[in-house]
Amino acid sequence: MAGKSGRSIANKPEKVWQKRILSWEGMLVVLFIAVNIFCINISSMYQFSNVLREMPKYLTEVFILLPMAYILIMGDIDISVGSIVCLSATMACTAYNKGIPFIAVVLICLMTGMACGFVNGIILTRFTELPPMIVTLATQIIFRGIAEITLGSGGSVSLTKADGFRMISGKVGKVPYIVFLVIILAAGFTVVLCATTFGRRLYAIGSNKLAAYYAGIQVERTRLIVYSVTGFMSGLAALLLVSVLYGANTTTGNGFEMDAIAMAVFGGISTNGGKGKLQGGIIAAFIIICLRIGLGLINLNPQIILIILGILLVLSVLLPNIFRGVKLQSKSIEMK
Amino acid sequence: MKKKMVGMLLCAAMVVSLIAGCGNSGADKEGSKAEDVKKADDSGKKVYALVTKSAGNPFMDIIAGGFTDVIEAAGGEVIVRHPEAATADAQVSVIQSLISQGVDSITVSANDQNALQAALEEAMDAGIKISGLDSATNADSRQVFVNQASDAEIGKTLMEAIYDIAGGEGQWAILSATSQATNQNAWIAAMQEAMKDDKYSKLELTEIAYGDDEPQKSTDQTQALLSKYPDLKVICSPTTVGINAAAKVLQDDHSSVKLTGLGLPSELAEYMGDGDDKSCPYMYLWNPIELGQLGGYTAMALVNGEITGAEGESFKAGDLGDYEIIKAKDGGTEVVLGPLFKFDSSNINEWKDVF
Repeated sequence: MAGKSGRSIANKPEKVWQKRILSWEGMLVVLFIAVNIFCINISSMYQFSNVLREMPKYLTEVFILLPMAYILIMGDIDISVGSIVCLSATMACTAYNKGIPFIAVVLICLMTGMACGFVNGIILTRFTELPPMIVTLATQIIFRGIAEITLGSGGSVSLTKADGFRMISGKVGKVPYIVFLVIILAAGFTVVLCATTFGRRLYAIGSNKLAAYYAGIQVERTRLIVYSVTGFMSGLAALLLVSVLYGANTTTGNGFEMDAIAMAVFGGISTNGGKGKLQGGIIAAFIIICLRIGLGLINLNPQIILIILGILLVLSVLLPNIFRGVKLQSKSIEMK
Repeated sequence: MKKKMVGMLLCAAMVVSLIAGCGNSGADKEGSKAEDVKKADDSGKKVYALVTKSAGNPFMDIIAGGFTDVIEAAGGEVIVRHPEAATADAQVSVIQSLISQGVDSITVSANDQNALQAALEEAMDAGIKISGLDSATNADSRQVFVNQASDAEIGKTLMEAIYDIAGGEGQWAILSATSQATNQNAWIAAMQEAMKDDKYSKLELTEIAYGDDEPQKSTDQTQALLSKYPDLKVICSPTTVGINAAAKVLQDDHSSVKLTGLGLPSELAEYMGDGDDKSCPYMYLWNPIELGQLGGYTAMALVNGEITGAEGESFKAGDLGDYEIIKAKDGGTEVVLGPLFKFDSSNINEWKDVF
């Protein structure tokens, strides 16, 4: 029985289902499956065990993606995360080489990251007129500078013994610990974003900061928390990166910020704030990781891989706009 | 509420597709693996990989050329992989990808001495032979390193050249790269060690300038040296960027100061000659083609089981002759290519087109 609006109980679920498939996330899932089929076809070495073994290094960037998505949804940006990773990794290596127990080293690494994020947050919330891009650009330079001074003239520090870090890079069967950690954290961050008041506040701030403020949201406090969490997660990423590299140098974490932002944007999260879902970002991250591993296995020139990733990113930003244009056009035709 | 449902469903879809994807690849695995083993048995071709420092590095490309030539001539297969960026992190990804492919040997020119250790240890555990080339990894993460020339040899050769060009006495200066560069500092230390000889007592080292391997900064530093020390006779620049910049400054200024050091023939050809109008009488460098070739022979000897990388072993490297593995300064082992190659006005024209 169709009502006045043309809707009926019977055809409503069908439409929602259609919507789910046609949503950006739905398309990403399809793309993810397509990429995997493609990689299996191009290389017989694209096997589960190999992909799992190569994954840990790439997964460190997912740790940054999670809080970065929060920041982008708030309409902010943080480009200092790569330097925070570098500084935290440097501190962890230096401390561990001095014979400090491993538990304390883990704390030092995480706290260094969190402190850096807190500094970003404090500056941005105390002086709200400053653009986050410029402030984090400045702290990016500062954090890396401190790391370089700590590293000294050699520009690199390596673990004299790696027992503790070897533990982190361990595996259950063939699955590295870090994979479980990523799944748990990704689920946690997603639930917080789409099922709690805190998550809804982020969307509110991103859509209209002033309106959110008048609606009683403690905008600056929320921003401070998110920036600190970003720092903390950068520290965690540093810890896991050290377990892969057994050391740190002046180029550690270079470009992490841009990779994380690219993954988020590819996943449909708008840099203008207020739009997008973390699920999309996470699927996008796995698409990029699988594509990198797969194309690496056929020894494709890395510069070509970068170009392919770049084209994917441009398309991902362009396509929704084109679709929206088509939709508007067809609507206006209907109106006539 | 609806949004939540959508989100949850999508998460579930992702997990399902991931498992499905893995399931597929798992199922494929047996079949493809068997196929690969068969393929390898059929051809018997060994696969040798070379991991370079960065893409678009002419010096590295020439090494890769020599490496590829000798291995392909011997019937092996070569994979040359450039990292995404000139960092150790990017090299780790490349090495892990090569482990997945199950290559027989990896030869690497490291961007960082220690950062590749975890990846390379994993490769060695997988039975892959690891050798270093041009820029060493630490002793724990390699079987053997192919060294272009020993530091002491470079120090002695350059001091002799300075002595000869300066006419036995006078002031001279060094134009280096960065103050932290491991190889530069080792060579400068070797020169200072050689200088202790009485023969060089009349030579005076005025300053070690750092041009950071940037053309502009190296030019500025050269000009500063000229104005600070009017009696300067020789500048020695053991870096290709520095020597190129200095050669241009000296020749454009019609300076009487002469230049020597380590440089690329193609870049220095127009400044090389014995007359007063040329700034560089002669200079040195190892032959990168031979370095690549020796790297190739070493990798093959490791894979054949001819050598294990232990001190005292020796092997035949084709036309290059016999080489012995000796103890390296860092506690590991190395093969040294040989004496430096001298480039002067008599041979520069044939070499300037090569590299």
